[in-house]
Amino acid sequence: MDYVLLLQRIFDALFNSAIYSSLALALVIIFRATGLLNFAQGEMATFTAYIAFVLLSGPQPRLTGGGLAGLIPGVPFSIPLAIIGAVVCGMAAGAATERALIRPLGGASDLALVNITIGLLLATNSLMAQWWGTGPRFFPSIFPTGAGQHFVILGARLRYSTVGVWAILLSVLVLLVLLLRHTRAGLAFRAVSISPSNAELVGVRVGPTLMYGWALASGFGALAACLSANSVLLEPSMMLRVLVYAFAAATLGGLDSPKGALVGGLIIGLSQTLIPAYVPFIGFELSVLPALLAMVVILLIRPAGLYGTKRIERV
Amino acid sequence: MITSERRVSRLSAVGIALLGVALFVIPFLTTTTSLRQASQIIVSVLAVLGVNIATGYGGMISLGHGVFVGIGAFATGYYVSDLSLPWLVAIVLGATTAGVSGALVGLPALRIKGIHLALVTLGLAIVFRPLSKRFPSITGGVSGRSIEARFDAPGWWPGDGRMASSVYRYVFCVLVVLVALWATWNVVNSRFGRSMRALRDNDTAAAVYGVDLVAARVTTFALSAGLAGLCGALQVVLVPFVSQDKFPAQESLIIYASAVVGGLGTIWGSVLGVIARTVVGKVGSLAAGFDGLGPIGEFFSLLDEPAFVFGFGLILLTFLFPRGLAGIRRKDQPSQ
Repeated sequence: MDYVLLLQRIFDALFNSAIYSSLALALVIIFRATGLLNFAQGEMATFTAYIAFVLLSGPQPRLTGGGLAGLIPGVPFSIPLAIIGAVVCGMAAGAATERALIRPLGGASDLALVNITIGLLLATNSLMAQWWGTGPRFFPSIFPTGAGQHFVILGARLRYSTVGVWAILLSVLVLLVLLLRHTRAGLAFRAVSISPSNAELVGVRVGPTLMYGWALASGFGALAACLSANSVLLEPSMMLRVLVYAFAAATLGGLDSPKGALVGGLIIGLSQTLIPAYVPFIGFELSVLPALLAMVVILLIRPAGLYGTKRIERV
Repeated sequence: MITSERRVSRLSAVGIALLGVALFVIPFLTTTTSLRQASQIIVSVLAVLGVNIATGYGGMISLGHGVFVGIGAFATGYYVSDLSLPWLVAIVLGATTAGVSGALVGLPALRIKGIHLALVTLGLAIVFRPLSKRFPSITGGVSGRSIEARFDAPGWWPGDGRMASSVYRYVFCVLVVLVALWATWNVVNSRFGRSMRALRDNDTAAAVYGVDLVAARVTTFALSAGLAGLCGALQVVLVPFVSQDKFPAQESLIIYASAVVGGLGTIWGSVLGVIARTVVGKVGSLAAGFDGLGPIGEFFSLLDEPAFVFGFGLILLTFLFPRGLAGIRRKDQPSQ
């Protein structure tokens, strides 16, 4: 076995791992607080990547399509600024979704929540196709990506972009942990996640707290989309597959465990690169199949995943 | 209460009569192309009905029924061209193949429930296209494959030429859909149908009353996938060409959305869902044809997109009429 090649593949996988981890984190934050799987998370994230794209390219009708063209300032943004703008827009959209679509339903059935998020997925997807077309678009990378932009470790190349994306993910995670542990809003969010009714009894305003949760989650989603748009090319359905990986990662780690999302993303990202490399039938195209199978097997054998809490059903 | 019930039944009687007249008149008014499109719309009722069986009656959310439509289409194409089976046999076998694969998906559904099942079936819908590209001898790989066999009118059929064959295919599809609707109506009102609904409402209670949970869940899913597979088989009858790019994940979601918008748990809901999709799409494409409407025109051209209409409709109906279009007049009953 060629160990340098193996190490190289692991290094290559780490970039995707970070993307899956952050989208899985978005899913977990919402599931933990509301018990709902946000199927529209990927499309909402893609939408913010398009916003970043529009901010980057300035007011060119050919690029910006209809609808949003009038809203863009005259000067194109720099890449980090555009991504920050997209994340802010994503957070606002997430908060608005909670307020307008989820809260009025007031803990309705699984079916109603699935309907809302699937409706959001379909509508957002076709809206993006209408405004920006279905063709893939080049999205610049925030990190240097040219030839030679890498460290060499034990003969394998570790790209700057991989290091950079992990640096961003980990620093945002540190911020998140600080927010949850050391602020009143964080305390309120933790209380609501454990028990909404008890939190309400001690004076926490459950609605606004959940709205902050949605904003946080959508921020992670937006970050994932903007950072991965360079490698997967920006198109309306670019996050559909990524969503399967992220759901597999979240399921593997335990749907209500942020730590699980991180570990799950790491494992799924590695297996996505390593399994096709060593199992010829799978190939690159089918690399999403092992992720789906992993998801099914975990849900069958150990629904709580690695770190999730076991759910006890009362009948 | 009683008067409202009677009014509903009179309304649906008028609706059925109108539908019947429309179905009878359509072949006299159109060209071969629009007759084929009409047939495709009618056939799509079957896939929606399939979702309705799994989700509306069986309580198992399926976001992946496009997969079974695809399996039905690919399998029928394979049977009729590679194995040179007669069309009728190929159609039945194609639907059966989809049903068997549905039973396989139904097996994990014994333990995976609710929102988690939705997740798994959505994953299935997303995986289906790359998976089918892996079997190019059956699916034609990336570019698809055309089926040499044609479903043409036999000698005794009146008229000749392309139009006669189109009418023949149309009549065949209408008959198959009507028989399927009738059969499904009978199934859901049978003893098995009651155990299906008992399972949906409370599976523990159903088991206590002697419903075999494993058999009921697997049969329900197989039946529902079989209906979707029949839809796929008839698609091959109408257009002898199969390709993976007809079955993106969005297609599965649109089928699901049609079932919900029409109304889960009623047979007519599936028909209504397809009618609603067709009407809104027609309005959209008509209105998008006018120039100079500005932003309103842009909105109308969005109405032409089934994905947008049904995404939007799904959200709207969940708030306004949780029982779907078929349940608008039945607000007195508690929604599930």
